[in-house]
Amino acid sequence: MTLAFAGGSHRTVPMDLRERLAFSAEQAAEALRRFRERFPGREGVLLSTCNRVEFYAAGENDAVPPAPGQLVDFLAECRGIDAAILKPVLAGEHDDAAVHHLFAVASGLDSMVLGEPQIVAQVKQAWALAQEHHTAGPLTGEMFQAALRTAKRVATETAIGRERLSIPSVAVADFARGVFERFDDKRVLLVGAGKMAHETLRYLREAGARDVIVVNRSAARAEDLAGRLGVRAGRFADLTEELVKADLVVSTTGATEPVVTLEMFATAQQRRGGRPLLILDLAVPRDFDPRIGARSGVWLYSIDDLGAACEANRKSRQREMPGALAIVDEETKRFMGDLHHRSSAPLIEQLRAGWTETGEGELDRLFRRLPGLDDAARAEIRQSFQRYAAKLLHSPLTSLRNESHSGPPHGLLDALRRLFDLKD
Amino acid sequence: MAEFVSRISVVCFAASYLVALACEASRLLFRSGIRGAVMVGFAAAGVVAHTLFIVWRAANEQSVPLSSAYDWYLLAAWVLACGSLWLTIANPRTPIGLFMLPLVLGLIGAAQLSSPVPFPQSPATQVWGAIHGSFNLAASVAVAFGAIAGMMWLIQAGRLARKQAPAQGFRMPSLEKLARFTGRSASTAAWTAAAGFASGLVLNAVNRQQGLLETVPWNDPVILRMGALVAWLVIAALLERAAAHRADGPRTAAILSLISLGVLTGSILWGLFGASRHGAPPRLAAPAGRIDFVEGEEPR
Repeated sequence: MTLAFAGGSHRTVPMDLRERLAFSAEQAAEALRRFRERFPGREGVLLSTCNRVEFYAAGENDAVPPAPGQLVDFLAECRGIDAAILKPVLAGEHDDAAVHHLFAVASGLDSMVLGEPQIVAQVKQAWALAQEHHTAGPLTGEMFQAALRTAKRVATETAIGRERLSIPSVAVADFARGVFERFDDKRVLLVGAGKMAHETLRYLREAGARDVIVVNRSAARAEDLAGRLGVRAGRFADLTEELVKADLVVSTTGATEPVVTLEMFATAQQRRGGRPLLILDLAVPRDFDPRIGARSGVWLYSIDDLGAACEANRKSRQREMPGALAIVDEETKRFMGDLHHRSSAPLIEQLRAGWTETGEGELDRLFRRLPGLDDAARAEIRQSFQRYAAKLLHSPLTSLRNESHSGPPHGLLDALRRLFDLKD
Repeated sequence: MAEFVSRISVVCFAASYLVALACEASRLLFRSGIRGAVMVGFAAAGVVAHTLFIVWRAANEQSVPLSSAYDWYLLAAWVLACGSLWLTIANPRTPIGLFMLPLVLGLIGAAQLSSPVPFPQSPATQVWGAIHGSFNLAASVAVAFGAIAGMMWLIQAGRLARKQAPAQGFRMPSLEKLARFTGRSASTAAWTAAAGFASGLVLNAVNRQQGLLETVPWNDPVILRMGALVAWLVIAALLERAAAHRADGPRTAAILSLISLGVLTGSILWGLFGASRHGAPPRLAAPAGRIDFVEGEEPR
């Protein structure tokens, strides 16, 4: 065993236990310090996010990494939780299964929101923290680099993280941006003070919206909200007038009847000069009469419409899952092949050194017997010897590399040891 | 190098555009990490070959671009191909080529059906001929761009009306941008077509005065079809302008732009298969040394 991990995520660990198990930055630093003392010579990386806590360990030769069970005990000890409580909900894997798990996690395939990109930054942070506290090493380094590479491939070669999943983000990215090219010259009207309006406004501001006005039945509430959002407050009585001026309306009132009737809207639309109007009616029940959406130049979306688009995007992400998993499988195989091949490096080095030594001895003997050779001729002969040795070594080394893809090439390494009398 | 350029044929760049179009169409079927690069590579290779072909003809065929119907179509296709390549690079998530490359290939096909023999020229007519050809080219390109923007507007509006998220690999520009583009294209097409028609009348008058070319009669099909095209484009631009302040204005403009493309296509087909004295040499020999044209096949 070279690599191991233990940990749990939103899939298996209940939220209250996840909260107890989560590490703050200081607690993570302390855990890594404790790991270094407890398991000297081993590498360790702690990944702690709001949805998962995982510890990755690695070691080579005599420094075998702690087994997954030991890592669970270690995590329990660090957080002061009874290990018996954690063992049923935490999982552990080693070698290729551990690598596969990390690659899937870094690619967002194990996230609560499939394909979410924040996990990449969290994996990078975990690695940086381990480096800072000297528990990172060549094995975990290669493993985490490969994980980030895999995440990048999944992001570029599949559409798993491309479509948006929240209603405000879909409303702005997929619908508002489909109607308007820019938002810095548009007037945004917020009707009501629902929570969804805040979130939608955040996306609109990111898109460039500057001119925002909020109206509410309660003028005091409108003033308060406008103050908190840093926008202007308008009078609810002027709603028709505001509809004439607005380019985009976000409505989230708690009214039980439509706030904007068809007749009221028709009056406003006559004075709009043909400008298109996008209405995001995020209220339940709806604030705008649904018949308004059938009018020319009006793009009306209710929360159900946006929810359906979110669901379609979610299904679209799921459809990308097989392609993403194929990339993770491929990268895991490649990483493990390289890792296994790495284990044969000392033996190959010995073999090369032995052949070089023998070659040099033969060359010395040859040059002594042919003293008339000038430097150019000697260099040419030396190069020929080196090329000959390299060619002879090529086939066995290729076989070793190929064999590494299906596991540690113990058989071939043993044969080489015996054939060429190499020592471990 | 010269030998290499001389071997470039229409098939070379038409095939490149066709491969780029196939790559673009495959967006709708599957995702690929390298498709964008392959598509841009083929489109760019097509534009380079197309450019070299036009330059080679201008340098070696005793003709300049726009000097024959064949060269006019190839130059129009080249302008659209360059526009398609530029827009594809600038908007990698929008399938611009899917709309533009069929028009490019259509114009190359029209070139193959038209005469490559240059129109007879003289110093007096060369300038007016170039102005006439350039305005007509600009008008055709404006109609093509406008129709593509209009088609995209209708697709995007349909998607928004159905309340669907954008399809994978089929993200259209915003309605605002497309409507602006359609409107500008309509007015550009109208005034350049009118200028092209007017410069054609001047060219005809110069020919009549100097006896350089066969005078095109007023009832010649080319005058009728170009007159009809100009009339339609002016009407379309006025209708578009009139509808600009109505809620259904952008939709009206999009539909008008598609009709304009239909009228232009009809006009081109009429030109390809109808008889005309347009660009024909005079029936009687002109004074020696005043006409510089290649003898041989009479242009259509």
